[in-house]
Amino acid sequence: MNEPIEDLYQDLVLEHKRAPRHFGKLAAPTHEARGRNPSCGDDISVQLRIAEGELAEIGFVGQGCAICIASTSMMAEALYGKPLAAADALRNRFRAVLTGDGDPDDAALGKLVSLAGVRRYPNRIKCALLGWHALAHAMQQPIGGTAAPTIEEPEA
Amino acid sequence: MADSAIDFARDFPGLAQDVHGVRLAYLDNAATTHMPNEVLDAVRDFETTSRANIHRGVHTLSQRATDAFDGAREQLKRFVGAGPAHELVFTSGTTEALNLVAHGLSDAGLGRPVLAAGDEIIVTALEHHANFVPWQAAARRSGAVLRVLRPDPEGRLHTEALARLLGPRTRVFAVTAGANASGERPPFEALLKMAADAGAMTVLDAAQAVGHEVPDLSSLACDFMAFSGHKMYGPMGIGALVGRRERLERLAPLRLGGDMVEWVTEQHTTFAELPARLEGGTPNVGGAVGMAAAAKFIERVGRDTIDGHVCALRRYAVDRLSELPGVRVLSADSPRTAIASFLTEDAHPHDLGTLLDHRGIAVRTGNHCAQPLLDCLGIGPTTRASFAIYNTRAEVDRLAAAVAEALRALR
Ligand SMILES: Cc1ncc(COP(=O)(O)O)c(C=O)c1O
Repeated sequence: MNEPIEDLYQDLVLEHKRAPRHFGKLAAPTHEARGRNPSCGDDISVQLRIAEGELAEIGFVGQGCAICIASTSMMAEALYGKPLAAADALRNRFRAVLTGDGDPDDAALGKLVSLAGVRRYPNRIKCALLGWHALAHAMQQPIGGTAAPTIEEPEA
Repeated sequence: MADSAIDFARDFPGLAQDVHGVRLAYLDNAATTHMPNEVLDAVRDFETTSRANIHRGVHTLSQRATDAFDGAREQLKRFVGAGPAHELVFTSGTTEALNLVAHGLSDAGLGRPVLAAGDEIIVTALEHHANFVPWQAAARRSGAVLRVLRPDPEGRLHTEALARLLGPRTRVFAVTAGANASGERPPFEALLKMAADAGAMTVLDAAQAVGHEVPDLSSLACDFMAFSGHKMYGPMGIGALVGRRERLERLAPLRLGGDMVEWVTEQHTTFAELPARLEGGTPNVGGAVGMAAAAKFIERVGRDTIDGHVCALRRYAVDRLSELPGVRVLSADSPRTAIASFLTEDAHPHDLGTLLDHRGIAVRTGNHCAQPLLDCLGIGPTTRASFAIYNTRAEVDRLAAAVAEALRALR
């Protein structure tokens, strides 16, 4: 195995951890959900403004490890302004790479390829997926709806 | 001079291995310690010469197994200073032992529960979830009120604060002998005494202390004490609840079934005496034998030797880690602790843990099953190094160097 610093913590990942994109709350979110990982304390809330079938805006707040923050940041960047269907597609592709079922060099992943090394660290996969789980739940969860907006410890 | 008290490579086979191409430095002892050969041998010896169910047969092996189990109980009672007024019940670990107490005081089970609506239970905010959540459930079950003894901003507990919480309805006070998340070693002797003087039943979670400091029941105002084998150089899946007999007798059993009954008819059952009454089902006899061998190991090396060694390593770790910019060790001044739990600016414990693992260093990262404490202290997850008899100053040096390297990379 390579040194984790080359494999897991590529410059791009650390750069997103230091300066996460779309970090902060939205002025007028329509949907939101919170994801938590009780074992390591990661805690990410994703807010969305969904308009005309698109993720018109994405924002997130919370705390987590470098993998979690970078993954959520790259997710927000990749999906900002994209159709809802694109979110599901990208999430499935990214998850497949992490669980070893997808091509780690999949061009459709864009910058997220820099997180492909996480697949070699099984105990870190849930870190990389936490923001994505929160996103998926947020898409189902209009603000003011009835469902409980917190999810815990997603399965990889 | 070898700076560990014994030659661990020879005595602890589980440590003699490389991880990611480097010699393992196992610094996760607050979670689980490794076992010396003499414990492994004792378990193997039991399993190969005496394996049979206890109390159930007249045949030779069953008698041997019964003797081994009873012998382990006596050995462990002596180890923690239990006298004729005490009894020791084997459990699967500290968690089950504490559940047995909290459930046993609040469950109607075989009669009226000890705890009633309006009673008060005091737990401290330093507790592992195992000494916290069962009390939340006990309070809910009985209608008792749960009150929390909070630490000062440095994470220390004070008798004055306990005095303010104690009242005429206080029935239970539960405290840890060592906070696994912060490393704080509270003045539990004084706290237990104050609670007992106020008429409360007292519960000590000795999971973290039993591997080096070994609380002595004969000098403590303690009704129930819980500990685990796997944190004292013994096997996993075995532990004990030891306490005053008259208190143990009032607990409703957690498990009903074989071995814990006296006489059973279609509609009615009478129950066995202690300890069997609280040990329903086939116990982990091999585990009990191994746990007793672990107590013997601690006695042979010497409690004071072990305590001195791990506390000195912890102090050294505090010094080395505190030198690093952006690192803060929790409860840095706490006496008698083997745990160095620290916060790192700009680096998350999980990332640090992964990088340390690649240097062969095993540490714990996260919230350490102690969310109320981290909330109280206003901090997030930590990285925790914890020491045992086989650790060395050279390993602390490796830890400090690897933390420094990781922080440079992650900043
Ligand atoms: C202070 C404390 N209490 C209780 C426990 C639970 O012990 P076990 O998992 O052996 O039941 C632990 C273990 O992490 C602990 O550190």
